[in-house]
Amino acid sequence: MSETPRQAPPLPPPLSPVLLAGFALRPVPPALLGPFLKLALSAVSRRHPDVMARLETLGDAEFLIDPVDLPFSFLLRPGAPSPVLEPVGGDGEGIGRPTAIIRAPLLALIDLLEGRLDGDALFFSRDLTIEGDTEAVLTLRNALDSGEIDLIEDLLSPLGPLDRPARWALTAFGAVFTRAARDLETLRDAFVAPVARRSGAQAAEIRELDERLTALHRRVRQVRQVHGARAPGGGVAKAHAGKG
Amino acid sequence: MSEAPLELVCPAGTPAALRAAVEAGADAVYVGFRDETNARNYPGLNFSRPELGQGVGYAHELGRKVYVAVNTFPAAGNPGPWRRAVDDAAGLGADAIIIADIGLLDYARRRHPEARRHLSVQASASNAEAIRFYHEAFGVKRVVLPRVLTVGEIAELNAKIPVETEVFAFGGMCVMAEGRCALSSYATGRSPNLDGVCSPASHVRYERRGAKLISRLGDFTVNVFRDDEARSYPTLCKGRFVAGGRASYLFEEPTSLNAIAMLPDLMAAGVRALKIEGRQRGRAYVAQVVGAFRRAIDAAARGEPAPASDLGAVTEGHRDTEGAYAGSWR
Repeated sequence: MSETPRQAPPLPPPLSPVLLAGFALRPVPPALLGPFLKLALSAVSRRHPDVMARLETLGDAEFLIDPVDLPFSFLLRPGAPSPVLEPVGGDGEGIGRPTAIIRAPLLALIDLLEGRLDGDALFFSRDLTIEGDTEAVLTLRNALDSGEIDLIEDLLSPLGPLDRPARWALTAFGAVFTRAARDLETLRDAFVAPVARRSGAQAAEIRELDERLTALHRRVRQVRQVHGARAPGGGVAKAHAGKG
Repeated sequence: MSEAPLELVCPAGTPAALRAAVEAGADAVYVGFRDETNARNYPGLNFSRPELGQGVGYAHELGRKVYVAVNTFPAAGNPGPWRRAVDDAAGLGADAIIIADIGLLDYARRRHPEARRHLSVQASASNAEAIRFYHEAFGVKRVVLPRVLTVGEIAELNAKIPVETEVFAFGGMCVMAEGRCALSSYATGRSPNLDGVCSPASHVRYERRGAKLISRLGDFTVNVFRDDEARSYPTLCKGRFVAGGRASYLFEEPTSLNAIAMLPDLMAAGVRALKIEGRQRGRAYVAQVVGAFRRAIDAAARGEPAPASDLGAVTEGHRDTEGAYAGSWR
């Protein structure tokens, strides 16, 4: 697996409860999350051996999973004899060069993991970016998608009799989270609406200018053809593929 | 199971996607083995033999079918993997085997005469003479038509041939003559026809240049996206290239086929089955698209218009087209 050079994070975080929680978590050392992540990975590995089998081909590939709305990232080595998932500070600048970097908002990453969102659709809409070894990312995505992973079920399964209160607590937390997310969305819309209106008007103006420019170019070409001049670029389409 | 007016044939790259397709209303699910014998040979994807056996069992319990694609062309001097794929698909109870190569069709007909054979789109059979030949020589029962025919041409074809037709209804647009495209092979040395992979991920890189994202395939820059543009697959046929000093999509713009509004026309043209493309997509895509087409087919069967469905987010470049069916595209 090749290593990937570091580049600037291109995704702005969405205004969400995760982002606010991330601010609150800033003083907490990421290493404290280590035991929880270890437990979570162990539960998922135990309940989804088929997924782990598909990941074996990854060997020692390392993925930096960067939830863009959290102040820390995760380093995942899924193909190792014992898979590893550990927290790293910031966007992982101190860990060298991973095989690939995957960036998206936390909830999108969880939806992807649990098969509620299509990875290609997230990519098309620019809500997910990848850098580095695309084949490794695809292997990871396909393997995880094959598993019907349900994080809550997977994490609660080893709890035995504590399962019920834990489930109740999670349901209550989920309700609060959903309400907070809705409120934040309203807040964001209120802030953004005037800017969006202005930007929409500017985009329409740019489109119109672009159309006029295209029409002018066409007119210039027609005039040159009439006068026997060669069109720009030699008049013949140089269909090169930007080789470089 | 009662026969649906149009059979809905859906993709599955994993057992989880197969279950998602069946739950969303697929009449049949098509899958491939985890190797180069099928045209979606992507890493981490596809079925092991035991997984196919379980998948067939699950689908049959619910009255659905499983088709196995063995639809790449066998490597010269090494037909073994393709023949084993045909043997195993037949042995594991597949309801049909989808094949493109005439040698493999002949092998399947001789060794497994009872196994139903469908002609893959990779064979690119688009005229009555070719299709009749495949039927007479190899007992092909259904042909998957290339995405180059208008609805009128499909109706004419159906009147002349003794086999069922299956057409693509949604998903990636292959703009070249299927089974004969050499673009991926030219850029990477690997092709959908022989290796089962178009624009292999091992040759794809995404790089940022300022506020722009660059997609590269091998040594070629395929596209440069502004941050406000929907992205697309890094295939050369949908690349944006500079010609005459201007960057544009020379072959085809990034877009997905969507024939959901044409189902009554396709039914009237005598089409037997609709195919959803996308074995390489996640199970969320499968559930969403299959569900929308299930509702649309059921509505069409009742003579009602297709219910509203929002498939925009799962289309390439966030755009769709009725492609050649409406006669506006070739």
